[in-house]
Amino acid sequence: MAPVNLSHRRTHNLLLISKLLSLRDTASPLTLVLDSLEQPATPLLKEYIRRAKLSKVHVTLIAFETLKQPERVDAFVTTRRKSSAEIAKEVSAVYQAVASSNPSRRRLILIDSINPLLHSRRADPGFHLPSFLGSFLAPTSPSAKVDTSLVVTYHQDVPEPPQKSPYASSPLSLLTYLATSIITLHSFSHILAQKAARDRSLAPPVFGLEEEQEGVLLGRLDKLTGTGAAEGIVIELEHRRKSGRGVLEWYLLPPASRYSPQHLKEIVTLLDDSILYNPPMERDPGAENEEPTSTFELGLTDKQRRDREGVVLPYFDAQSGNGPGEGGRILYDMGEEDDFDEEEDEI
Amino acid sequence: MPSQPPLPPLLAPYVSSLPDASLTLVSSILGATSNWLVLRFLHAALSSQPTSTFGADDLPNGTKKKVVLVSFLRSYEFWKTEAKRLGLDLARLTERHEFAFVDGLSELFYAPQATAAPTSSPGLGSSPRTTLPLRSPPGAVLGRAPQPAAPTGPPGNTAPKQAEPGIAKKLHFSGRGLASLDAMEKDVASVMEQQKTHMEEGDELILILDQPDLLLATTGPSMGIGATEMAEWITGLQQHAHATVLTLATDAPLIHNSSGLGQLATPIETEHAALAIGLAHRARSVMQLRTLETGAAKDVSGVLRISRGGGLSTENNLEEREALYFIQRDGGVTVFGRGES
Repeated sequence: MAPVNLSHRRTHNLLLISKLLSLRDTASPLTLVLDSLEQPATPLLKEYIRRAKLSKVHVTLIAFETLKQPERVDAFVTTRRKSSAEIAKEVSAVYQAVASSNPSRRRLILIDSINPLLHSRRADPGFHLPSFLGSFLAPTSPSAKVDTSLVVTYHQDVPEPPQKSPYASSPLSLLTYLATSIITLHSFSHILAQKAARDRSLAPPVFGLEEEQEGVLLGRLDKLTGTGAAEGIVIELEHRRKSGRGVLEWYLLPPASRYSPQHLKEIVTLLDDSILYNPPMERDPGAENEEPTSTFELGLTDKQRRDREGVVLPYFDAQSGNGPGEGGRILYDMGEEDDFDEEEDEI
Repeated sequence: MPSQPPLPPLLAPYVSSLPDASLTLVSSILGATSNWLVLRFLHAALSSQPTSTFGADDLPNGTKKKVVLVSFLRSYEFWKTEAKRLGLDLARLTERHEFAFVDGLSELFYAPQATAAPTSSPGLGSSPRTTLPLRSPPGAVLGRAPQPAAPTGPPGNTAPKQAEPGIAKKLHFSGRGLASLDAMEKDVASVMEQQKTHMEEGDELILILDQPDLLLATTGPSMGIGATEMAEWITGLQQHAHATVLTLATDAPLIHNSSGLGQLATPIETEHAALAIGLAHRARSVMQLRTLETGAAKDVSGVLRISRGGGLSTENNLEEREALYFIQRDGGVTVFGRGES
């Protein structure tokens, strides 16, 4: 990571995440959020909603697992016992109702979990994931141009049922292929624990389901709440630019309790800028330790150093001398702080 | 009874104040069952005397709680006996319409014939265990499928149901796929709605689903029921209740076999893992029970870990913690931190 220099990343990549989270310029029409039980997407979705509300974007939540409409969500579409076509129809209907009164022409559609849809055993022969997702993004009519951003959450730890056709690609690879940005979430405390282990060349620890301990679904325990130090979530972002170039970056999103809902400035930082992740190097290790401790001031002030450098040592002078006898003189420029001693001069 | 209160102080905040539309997932394994915890939920909701010493959070005395318990693995007799040890008289609470029991065990796969019902029901009531292994091979199920339309079965069966005191309804599984789940959902919802008619403003109805994973295990994808369908079924029931408590098995083979690279997971392993993990993503809190890693101990029955789930809707300020618990011979439970006693 080090070669691409940090300040360059700081400016460009922070701008990028800010653009993505605030849905500016429809930088990413389809964002795929990969979460797990160890770090659910909830805080990130709340952050999306918060920013959308600040910039007056219309928010729709397609609820596959949320029971009640969360606050600050404009439209809430339940999906129980609905076919994908019905869902798509309803999602476009809720916006039609407010389209005339909403000047911003921007809209955010959140899907709280795509897994149930992919797992469904119901015979839905017309279901085709790309066209289902595309139906949200495609403009309904050419005149009403709406900038839509779709954020799809996928739970990585929910096992996938076997494919119906052995030649079909898995839904996850299809999603990662379609997405313009892929965000993978990690818990900050886990990232720290894994880094600490790596720094000591130990195998990084695993948490939760990966522990494979019987009876453990979640390993997360906020022991660190008290200190508040390692709270927050780590965002691993892979963004595909229109040019095709990919951007990879790790960010840190602080917990929502750290800032007010109206906060406008960017709160996301680079993970490498985090003090906990990248503790500041001790300045010049060793330089300070060399000095013995004593009651005397053994160092030099700037002026003293300059003066010392100005002194021409006798043997230099002797080399440029005009012959024998000339060398060995005592060369002394009297400084103003010198006290001229006449007796000494007489000798 | 005993020296310790029926509701351990450490546990009280987690079982007594359940916010609206919340899902609490209780996961258990074979060596650490969840019965005692379900009983604590019952006690927290139903016990009439306010638990004054430590229950600072159930101060709104006006809100009475009502419970509907849907049990798939244990009979009414079991719950009645166990609750009595905590000082809860379920029969009396049923009469006062504070508690309703829905039996998902004894007649789940027993196709009731209207004529045979009166003779068969006493026998079933007394020996529920004999009906559980009646998990018929698929052939037999298919043969039975065209038989009774699910909704007509239960109404015809009303008389014997009333004959068995305490059981509000017995669930029947018939047909396949969504239709069968819908029929069962209607049955449970009708009990809940009936409870609601006895509720006053501000009362809370708590739904406890005990091991609905049995339903998934006994039917499975071959009958058109998978994790998504089960989760939807639970969502449907949740909509009728204030808060929902759900117990589920999380034994290692049911969770971990499907995640390995082996690709040899059976449908039940995949579906169960998808259901359990999916529910944990929806839950407000996940209470995980497991045995001690270091083996059996004389004074510790197991470990209880309470974690936040991934639920989006509720403001989640649950404090996560891990504690040990010990079930004594008299049914009393102590919950304590590691190193304490």
